[in-house]
Amino acid sequence: MSGGFLEYVPGDSFLHRMNPVAKLASAFLLVIACFATSSPALLALVLVVDAVLAARCDMVAQTIGLAKAVCAFSLLLALIALLFTPSGDVLVALPWGYVGTGSIGAAVLIVVRLVACAVPLFLVFYVTKLTDMANAIVKVLHVPYKYAFAFTSTVRFIPVFMNDMAGIMEAQTARGVEFDGSLAKRIRLMVPLCVPLLVSSVRKTNSAAIAAEVRGFNLRTRESGYKDYPFATIDVAAMAASAALVAAAVALGLLL
Amino acid sequence: MIEFRNVSASYAEELPVLRDVSFTVPDGDFVAFVGTNGAGKSTTMRLVNGLLKPTSGEVLIDGASTRDLKTSELAAKVGFLFQNPDRQICCETVREELLFGFKVLGRADSEAEARVDAMIERFGFDADAEPFLLNRGTRQLLALASIIVMEPPVVVLDEPTTGLDFRECGKVMDAIAAMNARGTTVIMVCHDMEVVGDYARRVIAMTAGQVVADGPTFEVLRDRAVLERAHLLPPQVAGVSMRLGEELAGCAGTPVAWANTLDEMERALADAVGSSATRGEDAR
Repeated sequence: MSGGFLEYVPGDSFLHRMNPVAKLASAFLLVIACFATSSPALLALVLVVDAVLAARCDMVAQTIGLAKAVCAFSLLLALIALLFTPSGDVLVALPWGYVGTGSIGAAVLIVVRLVACAVPLFLVFYVTKLTDMANAIVKVLHVPYKYAFAFTSTVRFIPVFMNDMAGIMEAQTARGVEFDGSLAKRIRLMVPLCVPLLVSSVRKTNSAAIAAEVRGFNLRTRESGYKDYPFATIDVAAMAASAALVAAAVALGLLL
Repeated sequence: MIEFRNVSASYAEELPVLRDVSFTVPDGDFVAFVGTNGAGKSTTMRLVNGLLKPTSGEVLIDGASTRDLKTSELAAKVGFLFQNPDRQICCETVREELLFGFKVLGRADSEAEARVDAMIERFGFDADAEPFLLNRGTRQLLALASIIVMEPPVVVLDEPTTGLDFRECGKVMDAIAAMNARGTTVIMVCHDMEVVGDYARRVIAMTAGQVVADGPTFEVLRDRAVLERAHLLPPQVAGVSMRLGEELAGCAGTPVAWANTLDEMERALADAVGSSATRGEDAR
């Protein structure tokens, strides 16, 4: 994560070496497991798995940073759950309901769930080259290249757009706009900046599409890729373990 | 006045991009920063308007340190034209774009309206046009106009002519020169040595985050050692005159060897041809 947001960080961990499709599948299975359960124990287990994965690919500090960012984002959702999910013993009475012990539990669960499911998804992008991801999706899943390319381009453009937004904000700051102050003020100031961002995004996307077209984008088929992406034992084991977590989550949901 | 006192600067945890840079730009000067990409020119510009704070040393604008001022506070004193106008333009019409700066600073009064009208007339803008639908050159001109309409005492231009054709470039640079003639200090980063030679009165050459030369435009641009160190080429006429002076014994020490502009070269050659013709007639 020494690079930008969602940009590949070179390394030689087992996560780096795994098949990109297996990494994606395992991450999505972990997300399903998180959303299929309300069991704090199972969510804690997923968090432990996240921590082990982060440690194995030497990204503990970065993962903590990411978890903090997701925490901050999910706090808003947690607040909504706290105020509008009246359950359990009444702690604070509100005009439209109450905040109860169950409300606190629901709020905490939202934060833990989002952190637990975000970490593996983000890690996949940090340990996988986007070209490998696109090629593996085409080769292994037989997805047409244009869809795989669209997916990876979307991810690739996120840091580009973030950089553009930072540049636009910088240009407006130089004109006297102050982006500090309350959240509401900042949002009000940032909304008009979406126009230049949108314009630059459309221009960039259009240029990229034309550049791809003139380089024979439509001639590419599944056979165009030189590299093969066979599944190794570790890939199967990772997917099996993730599937087991989903099964456990569903079973716990049925039992509880 | 702008003063850099032993300024070093870096981005995040990276190595210093600027190292121990010192210079002073008096009011009304027209300075061009030249050098290769990565020499530290744009970083220097960002330090002038406080977008970047020095890691050591001081940047003073009229005696006030940029450390103590927010960029938004400096905006009234320092106008900044970015290389990419699309990062700057954010309003729905040309008129609104020109008024934007006044609104931000809480000065959108009748005087501001009058200045905007004058600017629209001066550059021949369509006041109700959608800025993003204008061509690249006109968008650059609009971005510049939205800065100069505020009449800041200092204007910083980061490669103002990039991507413009000859006509558009002339329009932009003439507007900048006119602003400078009215007393505005102009600091410009430019890779086009013809533009630098035509408009700047002073050149600061940078390489590897340090100033390697600072002086009158053609003193710097005719210094072989500086040109080599900063990987620069002189403007074409100056380059030709330097070579003629160095390689043709008859030209050394004559006005031909000092000419920097087309007019100077024309006069020098006319004189040289005239005197040679006279010598020929004398010989006959």
